[in-house]
Amino acid sequence: MTSTNWIKLEIPSDTRNVAFARTAVALFASQLDWTLDELEDIKVAVSEAVSNSVIHGYGLQEGLVKIGASYTGPELRIVIEDFGRGIADIEQAQEVGFTSIPEERMGLGFTFMHEYMDEVLVASQVDTGTTITMIKRVRDLES
Amino acid sequence: MQYHFQLEGQSLIATLRGELDLHTSPRFKEELTRLFETHSNVTHLIMDVKGLSFVDSSGLGVILGRYRELQERGGRLFFVQANPQVKRILQMSGFQKIAEFSNSTSDVLERI
Ligand SMILES: Nc1ncnc2c1ncn2[C@@H]1O[C@H](COP(=O)(O)OP(=O)(O)OP(=O)(O)O)[C@@H](O)[C@H]1O
Ligand SMILES: [Mg+2]
Repeated sequence: MTSTNWIKLEIPSDTRNVAFARTAVALFASQLDWTLDELEDIKVAVSEAVSNSVIHGYGLQEGLVKIGASYTGPELRIVIEDFGRGIADIEQAQEVGFTSIPEERMGLGFTFMHEYMDEVLVASQVDTGTTITMIKRVRDLES
Repeated sequence: MQYHFQLEGQSLIATLRGELDLHTSPRFKEELTRLFETHSNVTHLIMDVKGLSFVDSSGLGVILGRYRELQERGGRLFFVQANPQVKRILQMSGFQKIAEFSNSTSDVLERI
């Protein structure tokens, strides 16, 4: 077997699909050798990115969310893409506690993604969409 | 996501089972808010999260929002039997500063 594999998913921005997305990606990711905690980390990170697309990207209206997951060797890469509103200030959006909906939200989604994944890259353009790329590497238990 | 509520004096015990996320949290929020409105004597919120298998920022936002309502009544927030993953995300969100953690609901009720 080769040490590389990938999946692609396309889902409508329905709140029910957030659970599907995080479970599907975690199931795929479990082909690598994670601890239970690390698999939970991956679930939370995916849940946050997909929820953001549904809430902020599409304002809870209809839209398409594309999800890709792949690995080469011990490196898992997850890409979540929407074609919604986009983020004007990418730096500010990632600040701990920053939210554009302070009445309802804590502004912690990006904080969790950064905390639970090794790398988080945000690419976004207003009125075009947002792409979140997250990377997590399996720790070598021997070393 | 399943949950049920139980009133014990000034405390509301919310027992959760399943996953609290963007899809499941709005209804939980509505029911909690309604209970706080109809029971103005309720001051403390005890979250029995033993059966909570997943929570993310959407769920935590709802819990924090309800805590803020109780704070105005001088209330306290408790988490009972949080699993390690849930405890970790709660701590990362700063809940250890505002909430108390416990292993049993009866302990909490005695403490209040
Ligand atoms: N896919 C997206 N499209 C448009 N804006 C986004 C997107 N993702 C994030 N944002 C913006 O970045 C901000 C911060 O996101 P973050 O997930 O950290 O917090 P939040 O979603 O507002 O709150 P929480 O995640 O705690 O529920 C959001 O409030 C929103 O303004
Ligand atoms: Mg978010």
